Amino acid sequence: MKAKKEIKKGKAVKAVRTDKKERILKELKSIVGEKNATADQHILYAYSYDMSFVTPKLPDYVVMVHTVEEIQKILKFANKEKIPVIPYTSGTNIGGLCIPEHGGIILDFKKMNKIIKLDPEALYAVIEPGVSHGQLADALYKYNLRFGWPVGPPSASVASCAICHGIGHMNARYGLNSQEITSMEVVLPTGELVRVGSCAINPDAWHSCLPMPQMDGLFKGWLGSTGIVTKLGIAVHHIPPHLKIFTVSCDHVDDMYSYMLNMSNYEICDDLTAVSWWLSQVPIPYPYKPKPDNAPEWFSYATTFSFTEKEKEARTEIWEKVLGEEKNKGTSIQVTHYPEEALKARTQLPSQIVGSTKNYCKMAGGGISWPGTFTPANRWAPIYKEWKKIMIGHNLSPSVRMSMYRGVHYGMLRAMTPFNKQSAKETENARQAIVECLKVDLDNGGMPYKPPVDFATEINKRAHPGYLMLMRRLKKFLDPNDIMNPGKLGI
Amino acid sequence: MEAIMKWNIPNLKELEDILWRCTACGTCKEAYEYGPPSVSNPICPAGEEFGFEGFLSSRGKIAFARGILSGDLKWNEALIDAIYKCNVCGGCQSQCQLDHKPFIPEIIEAMRRKAVGDGVGPMPKQKVIAQSLSSYDNPYQGPRRVRLDWTRPLKKAGKPVKDILKEPAPILYYVGCTGGYNVPVRVVPQATASIFNKLGLDFGILGESELCCGSTAMRLGDVEAFQRIAESNLELFKKLHNEKGVKTIVTSCAGCYRAFMKDYPMAEEYGRMMEGIRVTHTTQFLYDLWTSGQLKFTESLPWKVTYHDPCHAGRHLTKFIVDKDGSQLWAGAYINLDEKDCLFDTPRELLKAIPGIDLREMKRIKANSYCCGGGGGVMTGYNDWAQRNAALRIQEGMETGAQHMVSICPFCHYNLNQGAQGIGSKMKLYDLTELIDKVLPEKVS
Repeated sequence: MKAKKEIKKGKAVKAVRTDKKERILKELKSIVGEKNATADQHILYAYSYDMSFVTPKLPDYVVMVHTVEEIQKILKFANKEKIPVIPYTSGTNIGGLCIPEHGGIILDFKKMNKIIKLDPEALYAVIEPGVSHGQLADALYKYNLRFGWPVGPPSASVASCAICHGIGHMNARYGLNSQEITSMEVVLPTGELVRVGSCAINPDAWHSCLPMPQMDGLFKGWLGSTGIVTKLGIAVHHIPPHLKIFTVSCDHVDDMYSYMLNMSNYEICDDLTAVSWWLSQVPIPYPYKPKPDNAPEWFSYATTFSFTEKEKEARTEIWEKVLGEEKNKGTSIQVTHYPEEALKARTQLPSQIVGSTKNYCKMAGGGISWPGTFTPANRWAPIYKEWKKIMIGHNLSPSVRMSMYRGVHYGMLRAMTPFNKQSAKETENARQAIVECLKVDLDNGGMPYKPPVDFATEINKRAHPGYLMLMRRLKKFLDPNDIMNPGKLGI
Repeated sequence: MEAIMKWNIPNLKELEDILWRCTACGTCKEAYEYGPPSVSNPICPAGEEFGFEGFLSSRGKIAFARGILSGDLKWNEALIDAIYKCNVCGGCQSQCQLDHKPFIPEIIEAMRRKAVGDGVGPMPKQKVIAQSLSSYDNPYQGPRRVRLDWTRPLKKAGKPVKDILKEPAPILYYVGCTGGYNVPVRVVPQATASIFNKLGLDFGILGESELCCGSTAMRLGDVEAFQRIAESNLELFKKLHNEKGVKTIVTSCAGCYRAFMKDYPMAEEYGRMMEGIRVTHTTQFLYDLWTSGQLKFTESLPWKVTYHDPCHAGRHLTKFIVDKDGSQLWAGAYINLDEKDCLFDTPRELLKAIPGIDLREMKRIKANSYCCGGGGGVMTGYNDWAQRNAALRIQEGMETGAQHMVSICPFCHYNLNQGAQGIGSKMKLYDLTELIDKVLPEKVS
């Protein structure tokens, strides 16, 4: 009798939930139109996973938005109903950032893909969140301009990458993609429309976030948990006609650091990067295989753009000077031929080769994640040595990359880690290795970017109490009902 | 009826390991070329129309496949509908760089095969095709005698086409159902036969005895219907070779060509049945005659045209180099591709050889061509969408400043003309043979 009552009660609860779900879907459809909102299981499923080790989780609804007004209406509704909202454009990050932690509404911005403005004289563009790197490259090339293209697929979102502190390549002298942001229009979790940067004062001025209070910081690095960026101003740059790539190799990470530090001080490189032997392979060996004894352990490519032949020659002269100095120090640095496919993948961006992660996880199949960090360059070598032990211990390749940003101000250190996602065991093995590596990095002063929740937890364990207090306070202020991508910050 | 021959057509379960090679990176979502300059364009008709992940490119279709195999997704009306809302055009395949790349259309069609096998597919409107194939040997529900209607003007002009079952000929012109039954497209076989006559070629047709190639059935996942038809055709071709001296089968249909070149070889007996027979598309056939000097264009056609690459005669004919046994990279590694069978340059060279033709290229061409929207059963199942998508392609063609669009597929012919009409465009789609027929003198010495 009791069991029957329980079943009856269960059915009633389910019925109420179904009614609620139908009511919410109806409301969403009334905002965006019948075809642009769905709760169909197969569509939800397609949004439930990405490349990373993060456990797949389903949203409850997916909504394809086309206008800022639609976004405002949805956020007002979601805020009233306390329904989580997850911003999504392409889902190409490798930190599970668009995988819902607590269900809710995925807002897909793919169709908001206009390049609103492109000023080839003032060198900035204004874009909607759905604009892809491929699309922007197409538009910019018409003016011989470029952006800091990430090593990601051409379909990835420019705006999403920029607001999550994505790494740009070939223009590391300008810094991260987020440092190229010049203005923003944002819908707050409560539905209000705000602007930060010059566009806040003059609607047609999208050139700079400075010298005003940097309120753009309220939306950068928050992993979509404080609002939805609906328009983004970004700086773009000329493509100088002469490209020269200096490639060296060496046997020890300490030697590579010494070379990179020396080179950085001259500020001649658009990108100064070193990769371990495992990352120079196309693809990364999976599972781990030892490096051949006669192969160098480190390779570096330094890309330099010049406007004239003479400028190129001057850069070459500096590079030769650095090379001589490093040789005189007795390091193992030597000029080398960088593997062709790998070089192409890192200098011809955006790229389908590396964008498809062909060189990253093609051999493993299905999965890729990383400890991706900003780490003081002088800690690269000791961290690499630890990472190498951890990765090999997990039968994974220590496919590590180190890049200088804005001279020597900070460096990027990461280990692209492919794994076989078909196997839960191999996925968990990769997750464990990556989190172990992350702990080592954090303890050495490093900081992960685009962090999955596993990382956020580790960051917060080490955080200054005032940092966490401020973060909670700002989050509460902007998103009182914690509806925006909840759970991602680990607070 | 069960298949008599042995077919190597994989089911979805057999493709499971392969579809896990997809990383969900999303490179398949847009047609991108580094250049420089970089070029990027939408490539997936379903993604353009329906937007959501799942509909978009191979990443989405593989999500469906994974869900079906894991049991997370159960058949329901919406899921079945979603797997048929795809042109299987291969545009996403052209972008992918991973090991499952060679199998992307196969994975999509294997889902459909499972749907049909489980008794839930194809979509109601598409079921008519299966019934029609069974009753009439064509997907158009047309009586067999109608298949010959396109020959009437030729007969009237005193140039009847030979019935190859009655009179031997070295060339079988395999017309295909669309050219035979689809009234506005009958101009394609008419132009082809006219050219052959002008060139004095000894050719014949199967007439009322021609069977569908089975492509439509295969695209919809009806593998049994496909096998039945394909086996009948292979038997017939062998008989024609042995008894009527057929050495070459020429088809002007991209769908039939794709079926003969890619689907039929999945029969283990293919080599034995087709021994001594060459299959070719009209375009390649005429190109060979042109390069050998047998086909000459003497008259001028001062048209500005653009060229649309049909999926089935273009990128679908790509051959993929896969390390099957792991001796080069690892077992199953996709190594490279070979596009020599894809009819990319051949039609363009023929077009440019026509005096007066001003060829203007669209943004999306060759392996990155944008599908007309008619393939994969979409024209039957979702006609409105097919027409809307065709209109997008017509608009792209109009942007080139061309007056007309040229292609080499009767299916594209029909759908793109429908699309043009839908938006009131004056642009018309012509088959390449129509242009060649216009500039070829009546009697070629």
